[in-house]
Amino acid sequence: MIERLLDIKRKFNSVLDLGSGPGHLSKMLEPYMTQKVVLLDSSEKLLKRDPDSEFEVEVERIHADEERLLEVVPKNSQEAILSCMSLHWVNDLPGILVQIKEALQPDGVFLGALLGGDTLFELRTSLQLAEAEREGGISPHVSPMTDSRDMSNLMGRAGFTLLTVDVDEVKVNYPSMWELMDDLRDMGESNAVVGRRHIIHRDTLTAAAAIYQAMHQNEDGSVPATFQVIYVIGWKPAPSQPKALERGTGQTNLKEVL
Amino acid sequence: MSSPGTSPATTPLKKLALHSTVTCAAQATDYGKCILATYTDIKKDACKEEFAKFGACLREAMKRRW
Repeated sequence: MIERLLDIKRKFNSVLDLGSGPGHLSKMLEPYMTQKVVLLDSSEKLLKRDPDSEFEVEVERIHADEERLLEVVPKNSQEAILSCMSLHWVNDLPGILVQIKEALQPDGVFLGALLGGDTLFELRTSLQLAEAEREGGISPHVSPMTDSRDMSNLMGRAGFTLLTVDVDEVKVNYPSMWELMDDLRDMGESNAVVGRRHIIHRDTLTAAAAIYQAMHQNEDGSVPATFQVIYVIGWKPAPSQPKALERGTGQTNLKEVL
Repeated sequence: MSSPGTSPATTPLKKLALHSTVTCAAQATDYGKCILATYTDIKKDACKEEFAKFGACLREAMKRRW
């Protein structure tokens, strides 16, 4: 994320870190990138967990729901909005993208990273198979996630220009499904689907662990967990930005060039 | 992160994890293989026998019934 921010040759007066948590991302910001960072998260405890001294730049904190961004941030006010690993928790993704665009100044930039695509497909399928075989039905244990394709459509739909969307796949090896589930819980990424079943039967859980092992096992006996991070960059349209020319306005004949 | 076999399992879930991956590994593998052979057309109780053995081993190891 920070590397991507460094690619933008601008010094900001202030950036907004949307869904910041305690500010993992913002702690990496240096004074030559921005003067100030505004953290915004829906969990007050997490937001105020770490003291200002851990940050290199000036900090402001806003405790608010990300999905009601425009209620706390005026329109056309932000130079840059960052969001690192929080948008996959948002219920109304198209809605929040529109709000982000509205909150940005013209020619303001949005940089986001979220989990999506094939993230945790091994866990998802193992639990589905275990439930189907043991109990004869399935229920969601892994949140629905967006695809990189959808992400570029959504960004375009929200009105961003000069889009960049790319995917980074990270495979983490675990001794077994149990350690993966421990880690997910510690990351605060447990199942939070509304109306989910609140328990998994012990038999189903052990069956899933056995299936995970059988279907995805590496040669050394460990099991992989896939995380796909979708990175998006989009700009709010402004008259100063370069635009594609009208069709048929080209002056050079391609035949001569090739 | 603790992995089974290296640290003593304390909570019931940790014990279950340990037994399902270490103590009853052979039965778990059999069950996994059965699923692997049938997963394109999975039905309830497709691997009932294999799971019964796996479950019995776990109940034995956990020293409780459920």
